Amino acid sequence: MKLKYFLFILLGIGSITISCKSYLDVPPKNIVNESDLFSNSKGMSLYLSRMYSQMPFEDFKYSPARQFFDDWLVTPGTNEGSSLGRDAGEAMTSEGWARNGAYWVRAFNLLRDANTLLENLPAFKTNFTDAELNEYMGEAHFARAMVFYALAKRYGGVPLVTKVLKYPENPAAQLEIPRSTEEETWNQVLADFDEAVGLLPETSPVKGYANKYVALGFKSEAMLFAGSVAKYNRITGFGQKTKVRVIGFDPATAAATSKKYFTEAYKAADAIIQSGKYSLYKKKWAANDKEAQYQNMVDMFFDASSTENIYTKDYKYPDLPHGYDAYNIPRQLMGGNGYSAGNCPTLDFVELFDGFPKNPDGTIKVLDAQGKYVLYDKVTDLFANAEPRLRANVILPGDVFKQEAIEIRRGIFTGSVAGGIAPLRVVNGATDYSFGGPQTYNQVDAYTAKGAFSGKKSLFLSQNGTSHEVVTLLDGSKMNAGGKSGPFGNSDMTAAFTGFVVRKWLNPNMPQALVLEARSDQSFILMRYAEVLLNAAEAASELMLAGETTSEGDDLQTVAYNAVKEIRERAGANPLAGAGDVLGIPGRNLIRKERRKELAFEHKILWDIRRWRTQHSDVLNGFTQADGAYYRGLYPFYASAVNKYFFDAGFEEARKRFRITEQEYYFMIPSGEVTKSPVIDQQPGR
Amino acid sequence: MKRTLYIIGGLILLAGTDACTKLDNYPEPKETLKGTVVDVATGEPVLTDQGSEGTRVRMRELTWTASEPENLDFFCMKEGIFQNTKVFQGTYNVRVDGAFIPLVRLNADGDTLANESKTLEIKGVTELEFKVQPFLKLEWVGTPSVANGKVTATVKVTRAVSPADFKAKIGPMGNYSDDELNEMLQVTDVRLFVSQVPYVGYREWDNRYSTIVNYAGNAFEALLGQPVTITTQGTIPAGRTVFIRAAARINYATENIKRHNYNAAVRVDIPR
Repeated sequence: MKLKYFLFILLGIGSITISCKSYLDVPPKNIVNESDLFSNSKGMSLYLSRMYSQMPFEDFKYSPARQFFDDWLVTPGTNEGSSLGRDAGEAMTSEGWARNGAYWVRAFNLLRDANTLLENLPAFKTNFTDAELNEYMGEAHFARAMVFYALAKRYGGVPLVTKVLKYPENPAAQLEIPRSTEEETWNQVLADFDEAVGLLPETSPVKGYANKYVALGFKSEAMLFAGSVAKYNRITGFGQKTKVRVIGFDPATAAATSKKYFTEAYKAADAIIQSGKYSLYKKKWAANDKEAQYQNMVDMFFDASSTENIYTKDYKYPDLPHGYDAYNIPRQLMGGNGYSAGNCPTLDFVELFDGFPKNPDGTIKVLDAQGKYVLYDKVTDLFANAEPRLRANVILPGDVFKQEAIEIRRGIFTGSVAGGIAPLRVVNGATDYSFGGPQTYNQVDAYTAKGAFSGKKSLFLSQNGTSHEVVTLLDGSKMNAGGKSGPFGNSDMTAAFTGFVVRKWLNPNMPQALVLEARSDQSFILMRYAEVLLNAAEAASELMLAGETTSEGDDLQTVAYNAVKEIRERAGANPLAGAGDVLGIPGRNLIRKERRKELAFEHKILWDIRRWRTQHSDVLNGFTQADGAYYRGLYPFYASAVNKYFFDAGFEEARKRFRITEQEYYFMIPSGEVTKSPVIDQQPGR
Repeated sequence: MKRTLYIIGGLILLAGTDACTKLDNYPEPKETLKGTVVDVATGEPVLTDQGSEGTRVRMRELTWTASEPENLDFFCMKEGIFQNTKVFQGTYNVRVDGAFIPLVRLNADGDTLANESKTLEIKGVTELEFKVQPFLKLEWVGTPSVANGKVTATVKVTRAVSPADFKAKIGPMGNYSDDELNEMLQVTDVRLFVSQVPYVGYREWDNRYSTIVNYAGNAFEALLGQPVTITTQGTIPAGRTVFIRAAARINYATENIKRHNYNAAVRVDIPR
């Protein structure tokens, strides 16, 4: 017993004496510190890897509805108007669906990493060569620029956190930073890109890292955004708590500010063009050979050695795969997860391209002079001479993909063709192609055997991919009413419900057994030379509208014209009439249209129509998105009596409605962030 | 053994019930704020849409000082009246924003030019009346007629605030030039909304039948005060009951939304 007391006392004395010694105050071995990371290039590559994993890259893990870092990728072309998906609807302009949280909250993590690097790396500069140090500092500025850019285009003015906030050393209340004005935010984006351009090396030391031209590319894109907002934005206001103009520009100086940003956009794009390091991909391209031009544009998205790629986000199975193929494959080639056709291009998008019959108003011509359907021997005949770039973007009815003709057929018309086939959308004798007309072909007279078809059902449809109405053809063979890839109306949305399926980014060599979620690993091209050319052209056009004729010693009209000309030539589009085509507002609109065609499905166009402030106001099939707008589809039918095909154009059957109000050009700040902070303002008016 | 279990069980039960006796120490939100938004010139309620493009009532509770007051928003009913029966007792700042001259006006630097919002104690049933200057006033002319599933109605659109008054109040908010102010005063569109429910308006319209007439530039100026006849689109099936109302707006956004002024919804029966 006594011994026990003695032992306790001894233990007590021992612990007291030891507790005073500072030699136990060692950094924990299981935590990696700055001094470890900033000690050599290996440590730095770890640090940079972490930064890159948080970069706001809009790639295969991004969709407008769900924002960043999300694998569920079924709607990449929606909202921009290029396509529709079964999950698309409304304009999905907020971050309300973002499963990984609004970017507002996530942005500050990477910002802290970048600021930490900028603030603390100079203290370890003896560990690195000057070139290395510049590269790392450049990376930090690049990351910061990308974060502020991603924030500015969503929210307008944001808190400009440009130093490491030390907590808990300082009380949280002292670390509150209010939102700056939108102009200050864009100026910060500009300053960080400029720093990055000055510090980063000419070529990336490791594939996937930034370099000078990557920074220049994104700078031109960001400055085009800033210039457009300064010029076209109509909504502005002051924060309730701070009285800071957190969205919009001061009307008194907006015009001059916009010109400044357009000039910066032009300078950045011009620097890339002048470097001569990049060019449009034309490995297989041949003049006047549409097949070669088409194949060239398909290949360019899969050729890692492409001279057009300025920056790619690379994937690798099994470490970092995505699921683009699984979600967007045509239905007849569906993989084991059961997804397909998540991205169905709209007829409105297809009509932007050249090479098929059109009406004077630019819509596709499917009727003859008598108002009857034009009949085609083959389903592919309508688009036989289509612009190669269209075929590289979209799988058109009957096009070949993975050595298989993609069967897109809405139904079979068995009625007489004597005197021609009249338009199908007729209910009780009344033809109606307006929004109030029949929504699906299930309602039309030819199918319900009413009106002119009274008592003789002449239209056969498939309601989904597994149960078909079967028609016995003249030669005795049987045919399913709907195609193997649809469309099947609005009841089975796993099919090409607009009459088209996307081709861009789909891996043409992937075996069907591997078309699975988290199995694709093609790279996403984040920045390519074609965009740089279009950025230069648009900035030049805007500068010309602002009264300039030259910039950086270049003749702006020549630059804009040549850029569009080169892109159209590579795409196999009809050539422009002349350099006068790029002048004035019509010229600006021509450049904008070229962007929509060239950069569709690349997460660029939605931001374009937002910065142009045309998303809510462009008239689309009679409606604006402010009121709720709808897209159209093209539906191929087989006329069994004559073994020919015809096409019906009209509102798509799912009637996906897209709506955005003007104030939604700025996303709401997450309300929790506004509530908990004494300085963070919600968007004015909201 | 059994008894021990009962005792333990009883203790747990006691602890459980005891935990429930600590009451929420705030009284329930049972106060009511109700009121009307009226045209200062005529005393008539300012009719509106029932959604976020209509008249918005914004309450900010000032009694709670632990954090910045939050915006508590709700929307006017289509008759221009509002009511919220679940309000905590306290002092509030209340403002309304709609298709009328803003009550809270800031200049280009964010400084307050005028503040006609109301700060009041809400207790019991508190009533409020906001006197505002609507941009436009819409009136039916005659009764709508029906033919072949289409409704034809005539409306008269007049200015409810004089251009001079509008310029005097809006001009200083952005140092706008006279040209800019004239542009803001332009009527951009007149609509005939159709819906199958009485709450017809910008957020509740059947776009198969509703008609939007857009006016470019100054085109509507000559039509102010004149009867404007609008016919619905498509064919409304026979035997159906619809509700129609007309709306018009000027080229000026309050709280970043260009809001419509409305007339009263009327019921139209499409004959069989």
